[in-house]
Amino acid sequence: MTLLRIEDLHVEVDGKEILAGIDLAVDAGEVHAVMGPNGSGKSTLANVLAGRPGYDVIRGSMTVDGADVSALSPEERSLRGLFLAFQYPVEIPGVSNMEFLKAAVDAHALGRGDEPPSAVDFVKRARVAAGRLQLNPDFLKRGVNDGFSGGEKKRNEILQMLILEPRLAVLDETDSGLDIDGLQVVADGINAFRANTNAVVLVTHYQRLLNYVVPDHVHVLADGRIVHSGDRKLAVELEERGYGWLAN
Amino acid sequence: MAGSPTDAAGLAERVLAQGPSRYAPWLDRGPHLDLLERRALPELRAEAWRHTNVGRWYETVLDRTVTPASSYRVESPAEVEVVDFADARAAEILQLRGEETYRLSAQPIAAINALLLGAGVAIRVPVGCAPPSPVRIVELPAAYQRVLVIIESDARVELIEEPSIYTHRLVEVVVQPGGQLVHRRHQAASSHRECNLAAVRVEAGAHYELSQLSLGGDLRRNDIVATLAGDGANVTLRGAWRLDESRHLDNQVAVHHRAPGGTSRQTYRGVAADRSRAVLNGRIEIAPGAQQSDATLNTKNLLANDTAEVYAKPELEIYANDVQCSHGATVGAIDDDAVHYFRTRGIDEHKARRLFVRGFLREAIDDPDTAQILGVIQ
Repeated sequence: MTLLRIEDLHVEVDGKEILAGIDLAVDAGEVHAVMGPNGSGKSTLANVLAGRPGYDVIRGSMTVDGADVSALSPEERSLRGLFLAFQYPVEIPGVSNMEFLKAAVDAHALGRGDEPPSAVDFVKRARVAAGRLQLNPDFLKRGVNDGFSGGEKKRNEILQMLILEPRLAVLDETDSGLDIDGLQVVADGINAFRANTNAVVLVTHYQRLLNYVVPDHVHVLADGRIVHSGDRKLAVELEERGYGWLAN
Repeated sequence: MAGSPTDAAGLAERVLAQGPSRYAPWLDRGPHLDLLERRALPELRAEAWRHTNVGRWYETVLDRTVTPASSYRVESPAEVEVVDFADARAAEILQLRGEETYRLSAQPIAAINALLLGAGVAIRVPVGCAPPSPVRIVELPAAYQRVLVIIESDARVELIEEPSIYTHRLVEVVVQPGGQLVHRRHQAASSHRECNLAAVRVEAGAHYELSQLSLGGDLRRNDIVATLAGDGANVTLRGAWRLDESRHLDNQVAVHHRAPGGTSRQTYRGVAADRSRAVLNGRIEIAPGAQQSDATLNTKNLLANDTAEVYAKPELEIYANDVQCSHGATVGAIDDDAVHYFRTRGIDEHKARRLFVRGFLREAIDDPDTAQILGVIQ
């Protein structure tokens, strides 16, 4: 079953075309890596999927789990099972991680027509997820990303993914800013999340994360288009030869 | 007389014609009468009243339609001495204060408080006393109110001023050496024009902490003067406010370092929406000889829309050379990136803004009571 289908997607930011006709289909159970040089449109693709204001879809469609999400608000997309791990997670002082996560989990429960979990059940669940990512339980009491190291911010994104259990997770440069140990922990989190019922799109500049999270498909983005697709060997080849040979 | 514009001279004349109140007859009102006779009340365009039309407050000074609480309610633990300010015993407690905690020439409208005074309370926390429950000022039954608080050496207590209606309230606090006072003030949204002055003297090794949460008023002016008068005194001032409709809040804060080794910390967070106006003037003065003083002031403000107004101004006057002093003031909009981040997690925009604003205010004040009040006011 196809969880994400993008067809002929054209996107403008500030009146400038950044994505110039993307086609991509991601099935349940798959991991796709979207790679490409800086400025190729990788982050734009991630952001437009999540519904970031200022990213205008000029043409084409984005379908998540059978529903076109182009006209939906970011929160509606989230409730339909789309998750974006931010390249630069936002710092929100004064709002604790716990409070933030509970608000998100409650919104998802209400969206499904369920009762929100009790505080006790929720805290248990959050602690288990934090432990899996080797985050100290105190971490949940701190302000959202407030004063976190680069690595902690990225782990926090994965923590949110594990707790919200999306159908489709788009991870935007989740490997940047991670040291080797952090990369291993984050990769373990992503691998634990992988299931036949969900799918992952990894947006990344480097192939090093792909040594730990092995993709089923690799796509190369250049100038707002997918110029090449292949299996995991393509990522290795890109690491050796760079992106230049694909540009033409 | 409400509704007619009143200037300083006209008001002085009318207050003098009425004569001083007979409440607390032992109180020396000489300097206050003198100030009015010299016509030394602030003029309508006075610099200290740049953002608040003092004439609008003058209109209400003799307004008998203002109806403060009719009962007198102060709750306190048994160890704490509390007397009506009219009582002769209050005069003795006032003796413990020593010199005044503020200069009348710098706070001239306090003269009106003295002349029209109608209710008050004197509170003394004896040496070394640390009661488990707070002193709570619930209601005082007059438009002009006075609160005197003496924290004796090594005593520690919490003082809570609950929301109440007045035209002017003067709170004088002395924290004697080694004493500690945590002072919480909650100012509910009000349709009145209210001024108050909190004047605090903190002696050697003593601590004073103010948490002030305000929702503004038709006109609300908070003057705060804190003096670090003894070696190693410590002052922490926290303020959070959230204004909407056309509410007005003017905070004028002065922290005076008069002795060596003092530490002062000021943190303010404010949100102004609709057509409201919020002011914070924060002044730090370090006297010659107040070496090794350490003073910071940090204020951040959010404008929820472009019809609201925020004025934030730190001022430093430093006359000692071995000090640490820093200040920062920002005014900005609600962070769209933060709101978007919430939304990508399924939280709707309204709730996202609410959580963001509450978190922002909690950076200044984070206790359960405040969290509750901030939660209620969205």
